[in-house]
Amino acid sequence: MFEQFAAEARATVASALEETTLRGDRRIGTEHLLLGVLHDPGAVRALGTDLETARSALDALDRSALAVVGIDVQGIERAPVPASRKRTPFTSGARAVLPRALAETKKARSRRITPEHLLLALLDCERPDPAAELLAELDIDRTAVRARLTQPG
Amino acid sequence: MNAGDLSERLRSHDPAVGLRAVGALHRLAEQVEAAAVARAREQGWSWEQIGDALGVSRQSVHAKYGK
Repeated sequence: MFEQFAAEARATVASALEETTLRGDRRIGTEHLLLGVLHDPGAVRALGTDLETARSALDALDRSALAVVGIDVQGIERAPVPASRKRTPFTSGARAVLPRALAETKKARSRRITPEHLLLALLDCERPDPAAELLAELDIDRTAVRARLTQPG
Repeated sequence: MNAGDLSERLRSHDPAVGLRAVGALHRLAEQVEAAAVARAREQGWSWEQIGDALGVSRQSVHAKYGK
């Protein structure tokens, strides 16, 4: 699968891994892939949001969920988690994005999977998928993003 | 997510909220641990003392946080 990835898409997956470990997660999920995609300037333009905003939105989702179980994280000292030496696997949701990205690549008659193809595949995620939750939290109009990504030129 | 949304989802017992809370607790534990270990090292704690405090071996805490 990964041999069909363009260098930029490999960088997206590497960034997704980085986002996963920074957050202290044990598996690369679709939300991390979305953050990984946001390291790419073309994807930032298409989505109309940026990496920092998306990271904060994900933190906001966590804060509301923690508030539900009675935990207030305000003022708690936290630090980014160092990269693990153990292998970080994909979640099954993230694994399912890869063949969909390949389908987008074929649809575009392109030879290599790019970050844009990964993004198109992520836009198809439905709740309760975490990328879908994040896109909703960011109030992103998926149809508009899809149109920006697929219009020629 | 605004408060109205959230209370709505709680009323409907949306499992996504409870499950996210568990994931968030895990992330929080990792981030608080990273901050506390860094602080302990600054204050001269040995890897052994930190491992004992966390209930793990000196080796595992050093492998995770040692440079």
